[in-house]
Amino acid sequence: MTIEVLYPEICNLYGDVFNAEYLARCGGGMQLHRTGLKDEPRFVREDVALVYMGGTTEQGQALCIDALRPYMDALRRRVEEGQLFLVTGNAMELFGSYIQLPDGSRLEGLGLYDTWAVRDMERRYNSLFLGELPGVEGAVTGYKSQFGHSYGSNEGNFLFAVQRGCGLNPDSRLEGVRIHNFMATYLTGPLAVLNPPFAKHLLELMGVQDTALPCESAAWDAYRARLREFENPELQFEY
Amino acid sequence: MGKLRFFIALWAAKLSVPLLRVTRHNGTNFPGELALKLCPDFLKYVSKPGRIVTVTGTNGKTTVCNLVCDVLEKSGRPVLNNRAGSNINSGIATAMLTGVSVFNRAKFTTAVLEVDERSSKRIYPYVCPDLTLITNLFRDSIMRNAHPGYIADFLTQSIPAKTRLVLNADDLISARVAPDNERVYFGIGPMDSDVTACINRTNDMQICPNCHSALKYEYLRYHHIGKAYCPDCNFRAPQSAYYAEQVDFDARTLTFREGEQTRQYALLSDSIFNAYNLTAAVALLRELGLTHDEISAAMAQTRLVASRYNEEMIGTNKLIMHMSKEKNALACSRAFEYVSGQPGEKEILLVMNCIGDEKHWSENVSWLYDCDVEFLNHPDIRCIAVTGKRAWDYRQRLLLAGVPEEKVRLNEDPFAAAGLLDYAPNTSIYVLHGVDSLNLANRVRAAIADTLRKGAEQ
Repeated sequence: MTIEVLYPEICNLYGDVFNAEYLARCGGGMQLHRTGLKDEPRFVREDVALVYMGGTTEQGQALCIDALRPYMDALRRRVEEGQLFLVTGNAMELFGSYIQLPDGSRLEGLGLYDTWAVRDMERRYNSLFLGELPGVEGAVTGYKSQFGHSYGSNEGNFLFAVQRGCGLNPDSRLEGVRIHNFMATYLTGPLAVLNPPFAKHLLELMGVQDTALPCESAAWDAYRARLREFENPELQFEY
Repeated sequence: MGKLRFFIALWAAKLSVPLLRVTRHNGTNFPGELALKLCPDFLKYVSKPGRIVTVTGTNGKTTVCNLVCDVLEKSGRPVLNNRAGSNINSGIATAMLTGVSVFNRAKFTTAVLEVDERSSKRIYPYVCPDLTLITNLFRDSIMRNAHPGYIADFLTQSIPAKTRLVLNADDLISARVAPDNERVYFGIGPMDSDVTACINRTNDMQICPNCHSALKYEYLRYHHIGKAYCPDCNFRAPQSAYYAEQVDFDARTLTFREGEQTRQYALLSDSIFNAYNLTAAVALLRELGLTHDEISAAMAQTRLVASRYNEEMIGTNKLIMHMSKEKNALACSRAFEYVSGQPGEKEILLVMNCIGDEKHWSENVSWLYDCDVEFLNHPDIRCIAVTGKRAWDYRQRLLLAGVPEEKVRLNEDPFAAAGLLDYAPNTSIYVLHGVDSLNLANRVRAAIADTLRKGAEQ
């Protein structure tokens, strides 16, 4: 089985690639395949257990859109077939309809879904996140650190329901986008590493059954400590 | 009205300096904060020295700035500086107001100022540097600095067009800042320890800025620091005018080359990082017109400031405080590599939690997964104690790095965590701390020293 990491040379801002490395360490003879910007993605021609893409720079967003656009027919087909994707941080914005830039111009997105992003380089938005993935027991904890937000409706295709923190934007209670097994979220960093319930769910979708997570007991201890903290009503969620 | 307001701000802020000294609150930014509050354009009106030098960058700016100031002062050239305060606009304002008379006459001919990268937009419109040195640009706080490309753009937009830049040729992120400005480069030539493929978790300069092909490195030191070229177009790292070679950590020397001229300098420590800091400082001092004789004579009297590194022998143990800046994956990677590479057995206490974040929210631990924690998985490291609110996150990350479970000790209370170390004879005990946790770490260090002294007396 293969985990494909898209464009790790520029899509690995906040420990993102550790998600893929962590899941690959969960047994099942999993291998990591790193697809470079000038390579054809592996998912185009063969089945992979997971396609992972992390956050990138603003310049990197444009490069990734250019790199992926030729493969969008294949990507759409794969999404319909149930291929598992995990897209984190501002990589989520690439698959929307467009990114509105600070000068008012637009960077056309890949159009997998209809939400759009508004980039605001003057204000870095930092917040904690506590939410739930419908159908999965155990909350999801995470962090957001981004220039701007997304807008439009994700009511019918959100990824996480917000308990604390914000969704697509500060007025939204629904975070991320999910189309079949294509999961995109603004949450950054090692999301799977920090959330054992979410990691286990991903492994199930990858077809890896009954496997222990790496250093599982320590992972649960860290997760529970963070969860206790995030559930504390005194804790401020925005930085 | 602007001038009157300025003088009221200047006098009030100047008056606050002796008052703060009497109340033992000197060394804070209060005078500058007061000046900026009373007169937001304070930095515009305050008289400045004829020559202004700034030092900025992610890592090493304090060390380089201190070195440059020390050498200038020890060679009989008093300089206005901000080392007693901070590197943001209020710290610069504090320095500036102490550098003028009550009639706003500049008392110094030269200022050497450390400037925080993110504060440059609020400083450079008023304080226009003749020379700016950028040590390097790396990942820093996720929340504040986003990514190094963002900071590079930020500096490009902030640095005045007339400022001459002294840049690190081995760092292609900072080397490309403000491309239209006049510039000169420093760097370090090939070393025995160099590699050609990155062994670190992060490298933020992997693609050619022109054609986006994968860059190759003639040599790579750590992360993106090295000499890169593009195999598909004519892009290459710039040439250094100031160039260190023959870096010898055993003899603690490097050779500094300018064209045909060479000069040997004593290294500040045995880390590559400080070899870069030394090279940067000498390059800047040469730009300021000092001779190598003047620089090396003054350098011989300087040492690293104690807040970054200090060590003490207690009985058979060496107790070492080492800065490992919180939320800064690169600085911690460098610290971890340095510590793991030191000879002999080691015991480590990590006191790197961000105390500021703990007050109101929860520290974003993503940086731990950019950090090369794997360096701490070393047979010479006997044990690692973790502490604070993020103790469980540190523990998880250490175990994922392959550190054996029995070596990782945990207690939320830092003093109790210190008690979990082995205190084995002949080991080096490291207290790795951040900027934010320095005071706490000093207290814990004192407790460890007490334990060691009691052990030594028995």
